[in-house]
Amino acid sequence: MTASESLALITETLNNSRRAILRNNSKGFILWGVLLTVFSLAIYLLWHYTGSPAWNFLWFAFSAIGYPLANVIYKKDKNAPTNEIGKAIGYIWALFGVFSLTISMIAVFWVPMNLFLIIILLLGLAESISGVLLKNWPIIICGFLVGVGGAVTSCLLHTEALTLLFTLGGILLAITGLIVKSQYK
Amino acid sequence: MFPKLDPLLHSELRLAVMSVLAGVDSADFSFIKKQTGATAGNLSVQIDKLTTAGYITVEKGFKGKMPCTTCKITPQGRDAFQAYVDALKEYLSAGLD
Repeated sequence: MTASESLALITETLNNSRRAILRNNSKGFILWGVLLTVFSLAIYLLWHYTGSPAWNFLWFAFSAIGYPLANVIYKKDKNAPTNEIGKAIGYIWALFGVFSLTISMIAVFWVPMNLFLIIILLLGLAESISGVLLKNWPIIICGFLVGVGGAVTSCLLHTEALTLLFTLGGILLAITGLIVKSQYK
Repeated sequence: MFPKLDPLLHSELRLAVMSVLAGVDSADFSFIKKQTGATAGNLSVQIDKLTTAGYITVEKGFKGKMPCTTCKITPQGRDAFQAYVDALKEYLSAGLD
């Protein structure tokens, strides 16, 4: 092998394995995006037709269903390796889950606060940081729009229509997953 | 004086194996086989050579009922890989190919 052939082989192999790992990460985005869309739509419809905001308690079932489901999906790919980027993205979303769940508990049982604003901001931030790690501008911009746009809207709207912000966030999250999947084919 | 290229890494398949392992925490045999496009027999031989040199470690175990071989690059292997890449760059910058 010549020096340039060797370097080309190294670059190609490194890129291929990076692609395989990041493609695997797209499943998480799609799963959580679809779940968020389904849950927010269901809560919106139940709240809208019954007039009771108590349906928001269903959000607690979101993680109770999501995490075991994610576990099943990733178990199927237990042979897939990980790298630093894949692990960092996993940690970001795990922390998003922990922050959201904790702040929701505090807001519901202790100090009332504008949960929609906080969680949509966290969601957008987590998505933008994932975009930075993946070096993907559409994901960074999507995250920014969801976070900042959602936070502003949550201060202007005070009805069940707020739940639809999460539907939009969920759709964008699933689209993020599809972008990652196609980018690293 | 140009640095000497590590003969152990200057082989297409061994270099590909090291390149795969340089970018991951660890990888199992089937992933490396898929990424390098090598046959199982040839890959086993080259993995043994890299293990003997101390460039990678191999852990044999089971996932469920299936046997599983997991490979990981060692710090020594990472240094050797980096030195090899640096040497290649020196050759190229001097216009040697």
